[in-house]
Amino acid sequence: MFRKVLVANRGEIALRVMSACKELDIRTVAIYSEADRHALHVRFADEAICIGPPRSSESYLNIPQVISAAEITNVDAIHPGYGFLSENANFAEVCEASHIAFIGPSPALIRMMGEKDRARAEMGAAGLPIIPGSDGVVPDEDAAKSVAAEIGLPLMIKAAEGGGGRGMRMVRQKRELIPAFLTARSEAQQAFGSPNVYMEKLIEKPRHIEFQVLGDKHGNVIHLGERECSLQRRHQKLVEESPSPVLDAATRERIGKQVVEALRKVGYWNAGTVEFLRDDSGKLYFIEMNARVQVEHPVTEMVTQVDIVKAQIRIAAGEKLETAVGAFQPRGHSIECRINAEDPETFVPSPGRITAFRVPGGPGIRVDTAAYADAVIPPYYDSLIAKLVSHGRDRAEAIARMHGALDGFVVEGIKTTIPLHKRILVEPDFIAGKFDTHFLERLTAAPAK
Amino acid sequence: MAKRQEKKAAANNVRSVDLVEVERILAFMEKHGLEEFEVEGPGTRIKLRKAFSGTAAPARVFHPVESHAPAVHATPQQSPAPSQAKPAEARPAADLHLIKSPIVGTFYSAPSPGAAPFVARGGRVDSGQVLCIIEAMKLMNEIESDVAGEVVEVFVENGSPVEYGQPLFGIRAQGKK
Repeated sequence: MFRKVLVANRGEIALRVMSACKELDIRTVAIYSEADRHALHVRFADEAICIGPPRSSESYLNIPQVISAAEITNVDAIHPGYGFLSENANFAEVCEASHIAFIGPSPALIRMMGEKDRARAEMGAAGLPIIPGSDGVVPDEDAAKSVAAEIGLPLMIKAAEGGGGRGMRMVRQKRELIPAFLTARSEAQQAFGSPNVYMEKLIEKPRHIEFQVLGDKHGNVIHLGERECSLQRRHQKLVEESPSPVLDAATRERIGKQVVEALRKVGYWNAGTVEFLRDDSGKLYFIEMNARVQVEHPVTEMVTQVDIVKAQIRIAAGEKLETAVGAFQPRGHSIECRINAEDPETFVPSPGRITAFRVPGGPGIRVDTAAYADAVIPPYYDSLIAKLVSHGRDRAEAIARMHGALDGFVVEGIKTTIPLHKRILVEPDFIAGKFDTHFLERLTAAPAK
Repeated sequence: MAKRQEKKAAANNVRSVDLVEVERILAFMEKHGLEEFEVEGPGTRIKLRKAFSGTAAPARVFHPVESHAPAVHATPQQSPAPSQAKPAEARPAADLHLIKSPIVGTFYSAPSPGAAPFVARGGRVDSGQVLCIIEAMKLMNEIESDVAGEVVEVFVENGSPVEYGQPLFGIRAQGKK
């Protein structure tokens, strides 16, 4: 087992990793930028090294500084957390070259999953359902007709050489197909200098469903069930839960098996999350995989009682899943609210000094945070200041507990998204589990009552 | 840490170097635990110098910077009544220009073990003059002074790990002579 681990991150995830290290009797090294001099992860680490000025590119993303800090403190391993360098295959390689274990999958796997097209191709070849589409450019009208017949309607025609909505057309009816195809081509030619377009099935009212996986270095892979993360704003998740209120047991088992099989085929190990879009007929389509621990991992931990971060460390140290994870039984339902330092209506970031901070507790409540009274939330990093997680015997109890917890969470001095979460929790469609990835946009478009 | 040999063969005025010979010298150095070896003959001079000591510097524990406790009410600490004896390491004098480390690494005061340090307390430096080396990821980085003046303080010991922003030297800036 590692003696000492450097946590190449900050904020709540740095604390999270450090607490897993402490449980495993591993000494911790924190790195920090000048803006984080008074941060909790610095205070609670066994050792701490300042690695640069506030900007991420000069500190947390600065590979030579991070590796140098690891060298002078003589660590055995680095945990990259999420974001920052966690999916940087180059960084994982530099760790290897420096004889420091990287607590995550291999550089090759990170690279594979980081290139989205390649990940889709590999996962498709390994048996996961992927979004039906043309295989590359659709050259002419005949090809357009045959692709449309194959993938069905509605579909999207998209410019191959650009984006931003130009050279893009939605097709709902067969008679729209050729006109849309021709218009998209000419628009693409005008905008990007190339008429090339491809076609893709349009998933309307998609729901975001993701499976948590763990693999060891001995070829074993398991999944810990799924999370639903459909409540997003501009592709940023705001509320997550496990299990998904819409997934039935048969689908869970079937997709879970496929995920495990596919990852075994590519030799995946350590933690990861396989993301799908679910259409309103119930079909799931693979969109991408994140080869790291995710922000929302606590909801899976609450339901399965598996410590995912400890498992990551043990797997990296060579343990098999049977000891790194052990047996588990999913129980109940868990919800997480991401509390961001933002205006709850305009979403403008709200950095600054927290003047009062009181965290809720009680049965089934977990709070992951690095914030505290008198802390200054710096403007240089993401706005997440706390993850409020509830667990209950069922979804209703998890919601009820989250209500009480949101009411009891006091943050003053900065604005937070707590009022928005309170709104979400009382929405009838949320309570009924009836939502898709457009839910939050619709809710926030309407003014708060 | 891996030992690295700095081969300074093929310097000016040196004829072709027999690498087999160099290998033998390296083995010889290894066998006798030598740091440096120099041999000169007609038309040839070979000097082999080991990189800084292979033994890892004793792990220096960086304790988290002292910050006030994250309590709800943080009252500003009452500074003790100024007493007579101020410790020598007290905040550097206001006119002292601090040279701070721009990188994380290991501080070396001299170009090689046993060699004279680049600068010493009391010594004069010019702007652009090399003050020390900081080793990071097997690369030697020369740290230059950005002012001319007198070296009043050397804050770090040879061989110690340093972090970003750590004060290395205190220089009383003076114009060039």
